[in-house]
Amino acid sequence: MKRATIKRKLISVIMGTSLTVLALTCAVFIGYEYVTFRKALVRGLTLRAEMFAGNSSAALAFYNQADAAAVLSVLSKDPHIVAACLYDNQGRLFAQYPSSTPSETFPPTPGRPGHRFDRGHFILFHPVLEENRFLGTFYLKSDLSAMRERFQLYSLIVLIVVAGSIVVAFGLANRFQKGILEPILTLAKTARSVSECKDYSLRARKLSEDEMGLLTDSFNEMLGQIQQRDASLRRNEGEIRKLNADLERRVQQRTGALEDANRELESFSYSVSHDLRAPLRHIDGFLGLLKKRCAAVLDEKGHHYLNNICGSAKQMGKLIDDLLAFSRMGRSELRASSVELTGLVQASVNDLALETEGRDITWEIGPLPQVAGDPGLLRQVWANLLSNAVKYTRGREKPKIEIGVLPNGNGEHIFFVRDNGAGFDMEYADKLFGVFQRLHRADEFEGTGIGLANVRRIVSRHGGRTWAEGKVGAGAIFYFSLPK
Amino acid sequence: MVEPRSSLRHAIPKGVLSYRDTAVCLAAVSLVLILGTLAENIVAAENRTKVTREADLKAAFLYNFAQFVEWPPEAFSKPDAQFVIGVLGVDPFGVSLDQMVGNEMVRNRKIVVRRYRDLREITPCHILYISPSETAQLDQIFQVLRGKSTLTVGESGGVMERECMVRFLLVEDKLRLRINLQAATAARLTISSKLLRQAEVSKTK
Repeated sequence: MKRATIKRKLISVIMGTSLTVLALTCAVFIGYEYVTFRKALVRGLTLRAEMFAGNSSAALAFYNQADAAAVLSVLSKDPHIVAACLYDNQGRLFAQYPSSTPSETFPPTPGRPGHRFDRGHFILFHPVLEENRFLGTFYLKSDLSAMRERFQLYSLIVLIVVAGSIVVAFGLANRFQKGILEPILTLAKTARSVSECKDYSLRARKLSEDEMGLLTDSFNEMLGQIQQRDASLRRNEGEIRKLNADLERRVQQRTGALEDANRELESFSYSVSHDLRAPLRHIDGFLGLLKKRCAAVLDEKGHHYLNNICGSAKQMGKLIDDLLAFSRMGRSELRASSVELTGLVQASVNDLALETEGRDITWEIGPLPQVAGDPGLLRQVWANLLSNAVKYTRGREKPKIEIGVLPNGNGEHIFFVRDNGAGFDMEYADKLFGVFQRLHRADEFEGTGIGLANVRRIVSRHGGRTWAEGKVGAGAIFYFSLPK
Repeated sequence: MVEPRSSLRHAIPKGVLSYRDTAVCLAAVSLVLILGTLAENIVAAENRTKVTREADLKAAFLYNFAQFVEWPPEAFSKPDAQFVIGVLGVDPFGVSLDQMVGNEMVRNRKIVVRRYRDLREITPCHILYISPSETAQLDQIFQVLRGKSTLTVGESGGVMERECMVRFLLVEDKLRLRINLQAATAARLTISSKLLRQAEVSKTK
């Protein structure tokens, strides 16, 4: 019913109402008829009994059984009367109808005056009186088939009326619903085509001046408003699109300029570092020659200066090498493959054998997954982080380095390297991964400040992130993530 | 009864009637005689009861006439006057009429029975039964009753047929009535059609 169309609902309501009223009317009518018919039956049969009792008084008074039987035989005109008889004033059976019936079928003695309904029969006893003298009793038994026939007829009539009413009600409902439904259906059709075609210029046709007309007007007004807003929205949209395109163009321009600048900067730093190497090699070479030639000439102070120059030259050379590597990495292609990290980490640890010689470092390496990435670059990440850990735990009594994966990486693997070394001030945590950014003095812990910048660059090229936690004197944890 | 018959069957094939058999025959004959007398007595008794029953029935009919016949108001001397049933001559009813009437009322009047030995004793009455013993004086009787609203009742046959309003007659052993409606009407009596239905209607001859 919920899914039925309004038309069906409307017809159902009309027909349901009319049929219910009809059924109720019929029920009341039949009930009333039943009561009145029964009353009429009782009245008719009582009247008849009175008549017969009156007519048979003389027959009883003068013991004329033949006449009594003749009087009773008139009853044969009424097919509903099953049996009748007369008792004399002593209660003996005096005459009976039908005469062929055995006398045992009649009540042996007359019952009390009055009537009753008994198993589909009407039974009546009526006293026969003449001048108030009791002469006998009249007994009458009638079947109720008259009543039954009557109600069969009524049922048939009711059936015909109901059937006719269904047809008429359906026809009328079908006609009447058009006046109510047409405006609704027209409105619904318009609404549907508006929502399907997104054409807000459509208007519903007004068919009546009632609430539906009001609804149609409101709907049309609403459509008008929507149309207006739609138009202004479209205008705004166009403007926004224009602005967007403009913005994009400008971003592209800037990005291009930025890329150009970056490329220039990189090639500049590459050529600078490359070009810087040649004079530095000269410095280094001539310093060696100078050392050989003038070793005897130079006093202790002179040797000290010479050594300082030598060290600075070597430091500079390393700086230039690292810079070259960093700039080279920005340009090299990423060669992705499946990398087995456990072996890779172990190899990195082994590579550090020279630095860890003579130190009692506790390594705790947890199980590591396989990841997709460039094995050479990832190895650089690990090498950097592990060598840092080894470097900054120098001077600790019981150095300890833990390597592992956080258990609940959300869509990514989060690796960590924890050490109990020098640590750092969290205030500078952002600067850790910058180029040439150093939190320690070079005479405290050597280094160029390129390593972590490299780590960040490699990890971000793999689509991951890098960050760190630490406390001065209480160790540090370096994290990096790789997508799963 | 079974025993003597079986002994007879034994005796006959021998072709000789023994002394015992003779005794049995005598007993049988006497039994038949006794039964015959008994039957005769029963018939006589039945006749007697029939006679009394007939009298009872007639008494009842007399009483019933009071209900099915209407008398003119002038037949009663005062509003609460008694309703009189008279019997003229030899009374065939005995106590049965008195029993029947008892203390009954008809149309709010008490019913009384009066017996008249002969014509001279007659007082105004509403129903008069004329006994067959009065057949000889019928002319005088009807002379006296002329103009009076008295329902005359008698047995059928003979001179009674002339003026008696209601006559009893037996048809196939059943008591029936013959009514002279003309005579009754002349006496300003209205006989109920219900009563007429029960009777054979005749005319004054």
